[in-house]
Amino acid sequence: MHIPDGFLDTKTWLALTAVSGTAIAVSLKQTGKTLGEKQIPMMGITAAFIFAAQMLNFPVAGGTSGHFMGGVLAAILLGPFTGILIMTTVLIIQCLIFQDGGVTALGASIFNMGIIGAFVGYYIYVILNKIIKGSKSIFINAFIASWMSIILAAAACSVELSISGTVPLKTSLIAMTGVHAIIGIGEGLITIAVLSFIKKVRPDLLELRHG
Amino acid sequence: MNHAFLDKYSNLKSLIHKLDPRTKIITFLLFIVFVITNAPTDYIQFLSYSAIILTVVFLSKVPLGYVFKRIIVIIPFVLLVAIFLPFANKGQEGWIIFGNVMIKSILAVLATIMLSSTTKFHKLLKGLELLKFPKILIMILSFMYRYVFILVDEAQRMERARDSRYFGGEYLRQIKIICNIIGLLFIRAYERGERVYQSMSARGFDGNIITMNKLEYTITDVYFYIIFIVIIMTIKIWSLF
Repeated sequence: MHIPDGFLDTKTWLALTAVSGTAIAVSLKQTGKTLGEKQIPMMGITAAFIFAAQMLNFPVAGGTSGHFMGGVLAAILLGPFTGILIMTTVLIIQCLIFQDGGVTALGASIFNMGIIGAFVGYYIYVILNKIIKGSKSIFINAFIASWMSIILAAAACSVELSISGTVPLKTSLIAMTGVHAIIGIGEGLITIAVLSFIKKVRPDLLELRHG
Repeated sequence: MNHAFLDKYSNLKSLIHKLDPRTKIITFLLFIVFVITNAPTDYIQFLSYSAIILTVVFLSKVPLGYVFKRIIVIIPFVLLVAIFLPFANKGQEGWIIFGNVMIKSILAVLATIMLSSTTKFHKLLKGLELLKFPKILIMILSFMYRYVFILVDEAQRMERARDSRYFGGEYLRQIKIICNIIGLLFIRAYERGERVYQSMSARGFDGNIITMNKLEYTITDVYFYIIFIVIIMTIKIWSLF
């Protein structure tokens, strides 16, 4: 889902850069309001964690492999606005240091993985929590939310590519969401496993949700 | 463990390394915007841009083998476009799209490699900070950069421990092990974050980091700006005729 430079046309990347820029500005303001300076080292280290966790690849059917995204997990642990900031910094590092994704496509990547992957994913989780209740419900809801966050991000990515005239919409949408439906299962399983692990070892961390 | 892979060649000495990070960031962004807004069939412009970036690669003394290896990262994405060619086309158009994204993305990756392998990361951040990039993001980035090595080490250690005890097997079990590794990694990262914060508060951290490194423009920067802008504008104006 890391889009290189040149895959998006000017109107698409400019529009998405503007949207993501606004989202980042709003998130900075929101986190500034609710969190003290304590959150800065915390956010940096959580971003480093998401980055390191993304390096573990898992196999997907047909010889391809996928890796963890971590948007919903970051948002559940530290809040939706912080989630956007963390995904943003991870994507900036991947772009500048590893050339995974282009600079002009950075806005699009932040939109797909930060705004949709973390923020929208988080609110899917919150809404599900209101509908489905029970002792195990937060895990089921986290699974569904993170699976959906991957599918939605993949769909957004193929819509962006087709608006730019790079790939045809129908085939790319089917191919992208198809592959990511499988990757999404891995994402969901990892998210719930991490959550249940944290619940076992440090349950207090799940009460942090603040910004 | 060895983590030189991040800004591996940023210690070399060359004209490009000597430039102020701000100069590099600004010319880098200009270059990429010029490249990707170029018309798909304007080959002369593409050739000129390639000549510019190759000159920079040559001046920077970064080994060509390394540059080549980094370019390969975009291959999966080029393939992504290539798969759709048989579906998309009326004849030649598909190949034009393919060539277009391929040339543009390779040029942009080359420019990014030049920026990241000729600039130390903390200087890059300082440059961004002086260019009014949001301060909180800069701080998160610098903490992240500081701790990512430690966490990657920790992740690799756990992965090695898994590999030495585990000889393949069913898919679900594999996922479960990865999940435990990630969960443990988060707890360790979080606890480290708490300890770092406590030790920083004890030393008077108030949300600001004051550093000694100051950036200054030199005459080389001025020349670089002038030469770059003259060349890139000449190419643009030339193409209008």
